[in-house]
Amino acid sequence: MSANYEPNIVAFLCNWCSYAGADLAGTSRVSYPANIQIIRVMCSGRVNPLYVMNALQQGADGVLVSGCHPGDCHYMEGNYYARRRLGMLKDLMEFVGVDPKRFHMSWVSASEGHKWKEVVEKTVEDARDAGPFEGFRRRQIDW
Amino acid sequence: MDLELLRKTGAEVAARDDVKYLLGWKQGTYGYRVAPAFVENAAGAAELIFSPLCTANLATYLTLVEQLPVPRGEEPDTRKVALMVKGCDSRAVTQLLVEKGIERDEVVVIGCPCPGVVDPALLAEKYPETEEPAEMKWDGEDFLLIRNGEETKISRDELLAEKCRLCRYPNPVVSDEMLGEPVETWAPGEDKGVEEVEAKDVDSRLEYWMDQFDKCVRCYSCRNVCPLCYCQDCILDRLNPTWVNRSVNFSENTAFNIARAFHLAGRCIECGECERVCPANIPLGKINRKLARDVRDKYGFEPGVDPEAEPFQASYKPDDPEDFIL
Amino acid sequence: MSAMLLNKEKWPEFVGKLTGKNVWAPQSDGTEMRFAPVGENEKVVLDYNNTRVPPKGALFPQTETMFKFEIGSDKVEEPPLDQEVVVLGLRPCDARAMTIVDKLFKWDIDDPYFVKRQEKTTLVGLACNEPGLNCFCTSVGGGPAATEGLDVIMADLGENYFVEALTDKGKALLDETRDLLEDADDDAQKQKEKLSGEAEDKIKRSVETEGVPEGLPGLWDDPLWPRVSASCLGCGTCTYLCPTCHCFDIQDETEGIDARRCRMWDSCMFSEYTLHTSGHNPRPTRKERTRNRINHKYSYYVDKFDVIACVGCGRCTNLCPVNIDIIEILRQVKEAL
Repeated sequence: MSANYEPNIVAFLCNWCSYAGADLAGTSRVSYPANIQIIRVMCSGRVNPLYVMNALQQGADGVLVSGCHPGDCHYMEGNYYARRRLGMLKDLMEFVGVDPKRFHMSWVSASEGHKWKEVVEKTVEDARDAGPFEGFRRRQIDW
Repeated sequence: MDLELLRKTGAEVAARDDVKYLLGWKQGTYGYRVAPAFVENAAGAAELIFSPLCTANLATYLTLVEQLPVPRGEEPDTRKVALMVKGCDSRAVTQLLVEKGIERDEVVVIGCPCPGVVDPALLAEKYPETEEPAEMKWDGEDFLLIRNGEETKISRDELLAEKCRLCRYPNPVVSDEMLGEPVETWAPGEDKGVEEVEAKDVDSRLEYWMDQFDKCVRCYSCRNVCPLCYCQDCILDRLNPTWVNRSVNFSENTAFNIARAFHLAGRCIECGECERVCPANIPLGKINRKLARDVRDKYGFEPGVDPEAEPFQASYKPDDPEDFIL
Repeated sequence: MSAMLLNKEKWPEFVGKLTGKNVWAPQSDGTEMRFAPVGENEKVVLDYNNTRVPPKGALFPQTETMFKFEIGSDKVEEPPLDQEVVVLGLRPCDARAMTIVDKLFKWDIDDPYFVKRQEKTTLVGLACNEPGLNCFCTSVGGGPAATEGLDVIMADLGENYFVEALTDKGKALLDETRDLLEDADDDAQKQKEKLSGEAEDKIKRSVETEGVPEGLPGLWDDPLWPRVSASCLGCGTCTYLCPTCHCFDIQDETEGIDARRCRMWDSCMFSEYTLHTSGHNPRPTRKERTRNRINHKYSYYVDKFDVIACVGCGRCTNLCPVNIDIIEILRQVKEAL
C-alpha cells in the first residue's frame, strides 16, 4: 500500500435524515474527509444488498449506509428493514472474506452534522486500515 | 419405511379426482440414482420408493412447473398437487406457505419421517457406482446397501449427509397424511464445515472462497433446484440493469453467489440441495448454514417451521441487534 | 510418423519442455479435476477418469472478449490470440467433440476466434483404459482410443506412455521433445491395441442411433417429451458440461468508459434463451427445451453436418441432478419410432 493511499468510499444516504445531516455538516462548515461519494436514496430500506456488492465490484474500498434513527424513519419502518438486511449482509460478507471494516452502517439525523463528520472519519479510517480492496473487484481482464 | 404403505397411500392420493399428480421418488436409471416421479394414476404409484437415496427435495416442483396462459374457452386446471416430503422438504413447503408462493389448499402433503439420507457423493466415492441400479434401506441405526443381490451394511456415521447430521426436523412439520411413526430426533452435531471457515482470518477466508467461486460455471443449478428460489424474473437473468454480468470470472461469480445466498437469508431451510447438485462441488451449504445459524442465534428466527410466521426479511423487531451500527 | 515411448519418470520433464507455450492440463481443484493452464512447478496428473468441465474452453472459452472499446471514441482493440497452447491429456471423446464443433464454427463464415485459437493449439490426447460408468462413445462413432481431432495420441502402458504424432503439429511437438522419447517396438504397439480393445469391452452402456436422426422430427408431439422432461430443473449443467454444446450469448460489459464485447456460453435449457423482446417465448416450458436439446444433437446437426453432436462422454447423465439420462431418453425415442 502506498503511503498516500486514499480509500474510495461509497455512501448511500437516506433522503430525509442522513443526506440532510451531511448537508448540515456542509452548511455548518464542518470539515470531514473528502473520500466519500454520496448517493442519495429515498430510504435506507431501499438499499439493495446488490448495491453494496456492486460498489465493491466497481472499485469502492468501503461502503457506508446511513439512515434515520430507529423510530424516526420517514416511512415509519424502512430503517428497521435495512438494519435487519444489512446486518445479515455484513455477516455474510465477513464470512466470504470481506473485511468488516469495509462496510458500515450508521444512524445520522438531519440535525447531526457533527455526528456525520465522526461517522465519515471512522469509515475512512477503517477503510484506510483495511487497504485497497482487490477482493472481488472487477479487474481489467487480459482477454 | 414400509414401502407397501407408501405405495398404497400414493395410489389412493394419485387416484383422487382433485389431485393432478403426485410427486414422489422412484428408482433411477443406473447406480445410486433416484429420480423424481410424477405419478398421475394409481397404477403409477407402484414405482414409488423412499430410501436413504431419496435426497431430492420435491417441493421445488411446486413452483418450477410453468404456468402457461390458459387458452381461450378452456378452464384452468385447479387440481391439487400432491407431494411426498421429508422433514427438510416439509419446511420448504411451510416457507412457501409463509411467502404465499403456494396456498395450503393447492397441495396435498404426504409426510415421510426421515431417519437421514446419505451423501450421494460420499457413497459413490466409498462404494463405486455400478451401472446396475442399486437399492438402499434403513436398517436400525445403519444403512443397508443392496446391489447385484449383495447386501452391505454401512454405519450411519460413515455416509450420513452433512445436512442430516445437523438436522433438527427429521419429521415433517406440515402434512395431510403421515406415513408411519415419527422418527426419534437426534442431537444435531457441530457444524464443523462452517466453523472451519470461521476460524480462518479474513484474508484466508477470501482466498478460500475465491478458489471455490472460481470453479463456478454459472449453470444456475443451485438456483433452479432451490425450492425457495422461485422468482418469475430472477435478478440474475436481468439485463437492464445488469446487476451481475454474464461473464464468468471470479468477481461476477462472487457477486452471483453472494446475491443467491443473501436472497435466502432467513428463508433457507437447509435441505442441502444446492450443494448436492453443484457440478463444480462448491460448498454452498456452508454459506447457507452460516446465514441460517446467524438468523437463528441473533434474531431468534427459524424459517419454515410456522406457517403463520412473518417472512424474515419482510419483518423486523424493534430490538433487532444493532451492535454493528456506528 | 513412427510410434514412440515416453517413460513415465520423464513425464514432468516432458511437461517442463513445453513451458514456452501455454500448457493446459487436468489439475485437481481439491475435489475434482479440471483443465486449467499449468503454472510452474505444478504437477500434471493424467491418472483419473475425466474432468467434469470439458476442455472445450481451450478453443471456445466460457467467456471470450471479442474486442475492447472505449465509449465515445473509435478506439477498438482486438485480442491478440497469438499464444501457443498445448492441451495435455484430453480424452478422445473431447477431442472428437472439437471436430464436431469445428464444423459449426467454420460453417458459412469462419469464426475468427475459434479458428485462430485452433491454429495455435496442439491437442495431446490420452486413450482411456478405464471408461466411466456412463461412457457410450462407441455407440456414436468414437472409441476409447479414437484419434479423430488429436495431434498426438498417448496411451498409458503402465511404465511408459505410448506416444504417436498424428498431424504435422503433433510431429513438431514431439520433435521438440525428441530426446526424451524412445522408439517403440511392435510389442508396445500390440499392448496399446490390446488395452484399447479391453477398454472398449468395459463400456457397458450404449445407445441405438439407427433411424433416430430421421425419426426424431416425427416425434414432435410424442408423449415421451413431457415424460422425460417433467423432472428437469432447467439448469445449464447438461449443456455447459457438454463438450459439443456451443451456444453463446453476446454482451457488452462496461466499467466507466472502458467497455468490452464478450461472448459467453449460453444454454438452451434456460428459459430466457429463446425469450423474445416482446415477451413471447417459442419454447415456453422445459418440455420444448429438452426436446430441442435432443433434437439438436441427434437430428438437426446430423441434417446439417452429417454427424451426431454427441460424443458419448456421459457427462450430462453423470451430473444431472435429477437423473435425466440421455441414454434412457434415446431408448424411449427408439421405442416410439
